[in-house]
Amino acid sequence: MSRKKAAKGKAANSKQSAGSPSGRGAVKAARSSPSIVQMNGVVHPSRPSISNSNEFYDIAFKVMLVGDSGVGKTCLLVRFKDGAFLAGSFISTVGIDFRNKVMTIDGVKVKLQIWDTAGQERFRSVTHAYYRDAHALLLLYDVTNKSSFDNIQAWLTEIHEYAQQDAVLMLLGNKADATHNRVVKREDGEKLAKEFGVPFMETSSRSGLNVELAFTAVAKELKYRSMKDPSEKFKLHEYVSKEMKGAGCCGT
Amino acid sequence: METSIKPTNGTHSSSSVRQSTAKERADRIDPYGFERSDDFDYESYEELMSEYLVILTRRSIKWSRLLKGKGKVQKNVKLKRYVRKGIPNEHRALIWMAASGAQDQLEKNPGYYQSMLAANHDSKLVETIRTDLNRTFPDNVMFRKSSDQCLQKSLYNVLLAYGHHNPSVGYCQGMNFVAGYLLIITKDEEKSFWLMDALIGRILPDYYSPAMMGLKTDQEVLGELVKLKIPRVWQLMEEHNVMWTLVVSRWFICLYIDILPVETVLRIWDCLFYEGSKILFRVALTLIHHHQAVIEQARSLPDVCQAFKQITQGPFVGDCHPFMQKIFTEPGSLSMATLTKLRVACRERLAAEES
Repeated sequence: MSRKKAAKGKAANSKQSAGSPSGRGAVKAARSSPSIVQMNGVVHPSRPSISNSNEFYDIAFKVMLVGDSGVGKTCLLVRFKDGAFLAGSFISTVGIDFRNKVMTIDGVKVKLQIWDTAGQERFRSVTHAYYRDAHALLLLYDVTNKSSFDNIQAWLTEIHEYAQQDAVLMLLGNKADATHNRVVKREDGEKLAKEFGVPFMETSSRSGLNVELAFTAVAKELKYRSMKDPSEKFKLHEYVSKEMKGAGCCGT
Repeated sequence: METSIKPTNGTHSSSSVRQSTAKERADRIDPYGFERSDDFDYESYEELMSEYLVILTRRSIKWSRLLKGKGKVQKNVKLKRYVRKGIPNEHRALIWMAASGAQDQLEKNPGYYQSMLAANHDSKLVETIRTDLNRTFPDNVMFRKSSDQCLQKSLYNVLLAYGHHNPSVGYCQGMNFVAGYLLIITKDEEKSFWLMDALIGRILPDYYSPAMMGLKTDQEVLGELVKLKIPRVWQLMEEHNVMWTLVVSRWFICLYIDILPVETVLRIWDCLFYEGSKILFRVALTLIHHHQAVIEQARSLPDVCQAFKQITQGPFVGDCHPFMQKIFTEPGSLSMATLTKLRVACRERLAAEES
């Protein structure tokens, strides 16, 4: 179709990652190779690996974007990945898809494999099978859509049922730039997040508010957990409340 | 200084007479209203179309002869053969309507579509449909609000009427794309509605109902067929623990829309309306079988996902006429009896797993 990108030189995908001598999937290789440490399902190759995009990375994590249909999951992902906001250029996500992004966190190359899911309820039976491998989940609602906020509780139930107990979870109130149509107050989001003990921030793919931060915070937490470096201390809640910006201050 | 003097020959355009490029000769918008992306390969397209136009013209003449003086289109071996070779766009709506039984339904139920539209609107249904209106073909000029005959309102109407007509299905994401294509081809809401009814009510298993059992079943059935016909790919999927739903759910739900090029999708739909859902498996098996080597290079789950995206692109699927010939030969035999048997077995297995 017209919007499709032509496949060019994708055969490079097939390059074996440096850390998986068996040529199998990274996780499987981790099991069979003594040079690779595996903790909490996280792969630590002995030397940097090459991701699909041929970017080197040290550790890789799987992050899932979940939340009602139309809350802006794909938009958030594209804003983070490409730094672009393309209003009205996205089609509804059907099924499940992913994109990779390598971030440098305190000198460590962290690859986030970010899974974008269809929001409509009936697709959950198709997508929840993927929750169990997720190291982190970003749960989104739309501040201009009350029902997307009301459904957060149901989403949390779903996450608790299917995701790993120690998965990092964060609540995001998206479309925070939409001052006129806002129906969910920031305090409501904060209150709900506190109730469930999850970090919270408002985001906007349009203005870029807190988009980078949401993923950075998750990456930092996951990196901290997997490295178990006693010299560093990282508290996700503290980090988020310190770094977070309000919708007013950088929305313009 | 010899090297600087080159004879101008016929294959290179001289600077004084600049020849237009393929990009300049082709429209930015395709015949169905889709904007071509920035990286659209105009050269390959032009080459491909120069051959395909000859075929289209020949088929068009044959179809005109076939349909001349016929009041009603009858299904028969000859028509089936014609459909497999592609229905000219000017006859598409007519043949889809006739072959799927949609025309009969439309004639038997005058005013029904309008009555479904006039029914009390289910507010939840309305909201769900509205969420997807701006997210259906934003790259198609006919779905833009600025367009003269914007199809967005028609899309809303068809989906709403269908949701009222079949409340057990209501609206499922993916149906927006299907209805969108039907509107692009038929340019008629009522016909699109009855074609939706034919697809969802008769041709496809329950792909779009809340439990999506038909979809889950067919994904498993495809897995079984791959196991039989392309065992090395099946083995690879097992090794990397890739569930079929991850790589093929969109193929089934969107009936290849936004997976394969528009023209190829329409050619597949020609057969889908005439022959039924079996065609979806033929396409999937052909894509996988033909690119077996590409898939086998995958070394991880993300690699596998990437490979399954890659195999839906490029000249193999873009050159729709040979592709449509391949789907009937490349995957080998696929009887309806086999399919039915597999569907029953897979559905039972899934039901047992879920209970």
